[in-house]
Amino acid sequence: MSEVVIETRNLTKEFARDEFRIAALKHASIQINKGDFVALMGPSGSGKSTLLHLIAAMDRPSNGDIRVLGEDLRSLSDGAIARWRNAHVGFIFQSFNLLPVLTALENVELPLKLTRMAKSERTAHATKALQLVGLGERLTHTPRQLSGGQEQRVAIARAIVTDPDLILADEPTGNLDAASARDVLEMLVTLNKEFGKTIVMVTHDPHSAKSASSVRYLEKGELLPPGAKPVDWDA
Amino acid sequence: MIRYLPLVVKNAIRNRRRTALTLVSVATSLCLLGTLMALYRSFFYSETPEYQAHRLIVRNKVSLANPLRLSYLPLIRKVAGVQEATIYQFFAGSYKDDTPSESFARFAVESERLFRIFPEFRLSEEEKYAFLHERTAAIVGIKTARSLNMKLGDRVTLRGDIFPVNVDLIIRGIFQAGTADDESMYFHYDYLNESLRAGERDTVGAFIVRMDGPESANAVIKGIDDQFRNAPLQTKTETEKAFQLSFLAMLGNVKAFLLSICAAVTFTILLVTGNTMAMAVRERTREVGVLKTLGFTPGIILGLLVGEALVLSLTGGLLGMGLAALACAVLRSGPSFGADLSQLAVAPSVIAIGLGISLMIGFISSLIPAFTASRRPILESLRVNN
Ligand SMILES: Nc1ncnc2c1ncn2[C@@H]1O[C@H](COP(=O)(O)OP(=O)(O)OP(=O)(O)O)[C@@H](O)[C@H]1O
Ligand SMILES: [Mg+2]
Repeated sequence: MSEVVIETRNLTKEFARDEFRIAALKHASIQINKGDFVALMGPSGSGKSTLLHLIAAMDRPSNGDIRVLGEDLRSLSDGAIARWRNAHVGFIFQSFNLLPVLTALENVELPLKLTRMAKSERTAHATKALQLVGLGERLTHTPRQLSGGQEQRVAIARAIVTDPDLILADEPTGNLDAASARDVLEMLVTLNKEFGKTIVMVTHDPHSAKSASSVRYLEKGELLPPGAKPVDWDA
Repeated sequence: MIRYLPLVVKNAIRNRRRTALTLVSVATSLCLLGTLMALYRSFFYSETPEYQAHRLIVRNKVSLANPLRLSYLPLIRKVAGVQEATIYQFFAGSYKDDTPSESFARFAVESERLFRIFPEFRLSEEEKYAFLHERTAAIVGIKTARSLNMKLGDRVTLRGDIFPVNVDLIIRGIFQAGTADDESMYFHYDYLNESLRAGERDTVGAFIVRMDGPESANAVIKGIDDQFRNAPLQTKTETEKAFQLSFLAMLGNVKAFLLSICAAVTFTILLVTGNTMAMAVRERTREVGVLKTLGFTPGIILGLLVGEALVLSLTGGLLGMGLAALACAVLRSGPSFGADLSQLAVAPSVIAIGLGISLMIGFISSLIPAFTASRRPILESLRVNN
């Protein structure tokens, strides 16, 4: 019996645009178990990022229920959500989003500053995370001195440094060349297989999706049933 | 909070040019502000030095331009609390070409009483003796002696204007007072008086009095003015400090003037730094979204952004106070144009107020942009591309 980590029921998100309301996500119900590696796919504008943001509690749903790691996200205050995300979620962006003024080590250490950890302990953890992604030699480099692939690896180190239960990635290979993309996917697979992290990854790339243990498709804001693909989806 | 300091400092200096410009503008304004506050303090708040607190000036109630009679002097000396009193005759006139750099104050006095009233004047016994025993002798303050290159034995001619005579003097002493008197010259009233025609003699512009102690000031002032209440020429007696301030007052409302410049400077620098901070925060919108994704709360982000402004404004303030101290040193050693700047300094209280104003500028200028940025929804921040 697997432990359910993410559970949504009729999750809906609407955005107001001018006088219209656009439903970016309609009645999505999904269940993701501990240790799953799920890829979210679908055409542009189908609501993939919207769903991921709701799981990360970076946005609040318009309707429906969402429980992640046993928390009812709708009932948490903004401050509590921030602390919850710091402790339990590692987020990886398509465009890396490292802070340009900080070194690789400082970037990775950043989420630990919110914990009670002492400086020496934070440095040790951050160093270890960077070694894990193969950047043990680049601790003092700033983002400008790194390649895109290296930047994304720093971002992965930053996402895992707090040892979160959940890793969420929005097109993590979208800005990378083929070789770097392969490295990043390999790392995610390792995190999933060897460290037991639950991973949800949005991707456009069918090849990337093969790294995941399962794929779910979205179309026009609707989450398709397991196994179903959008019509004229050529991949 | 200390763990965020490296990030705050790195952010504060990330845009070198903007940081430098902000620092320069805050430092310049605070230098100006610090100097003005030091001036204000030295005019209106400084502790009156011991020697000065003992002195009163007696003049004609109508105005400084109206003289008193020499015959008042013995009567003043009799007033209870008066230790010593002497003639304090301002000799306007001109020296050489009368350029600003050649201007200094000159007074005709009773030389033997002078040193009892001005115990802070320091000069050698030989020079004092020479001054006391020669009718045309004069002593000059060290600053003026230096700047006009006057030496012992030099002959100096002062051309009269109020007094229709020229006085020819010989420098017999160079004294050091540590006050504005370092730019003054003193010579014998008798010599001046005897140079005048019979009908013009025996008038005195002002008398200077040394009292028992500062605490008797009010009683002695009243004693002297009461003495001449029914005389043809009534007197106005005031402390030396008040007398000096009345010169300043002739320049207009100095207090309001200084305060309004201070306020204008503060306001301007507030606008400048406000604009800078708004820019600095705006170009970091996306990073704020990233920090929030990592779990930073709006409160911490507010602290980071306001802290950054405080680091900048405090650094600028410290630089400014340092520059103000330099400016005061320059003003102290330069010509004083009548105001006593010898005690001018950036006192600890002025530094405290200056740094307080710096911090306030940093706080106010960053509060609104920082607050707005810290409350903006994560996704909205992340969508911004800089
Ligand atoms: N803040 C917003 N305001 C208005 N509309 C929005 C907002 N965010 C998303 N949308 C709309 O919601 C829909 C779903 O957007 P979402 O970003 O989830 O799509 P996506 O599947 O991630 O697309 P892509 O593959 O292009 O990233 C789109 O029609 C988008 O225009
Ligand atoms: Mg998307």
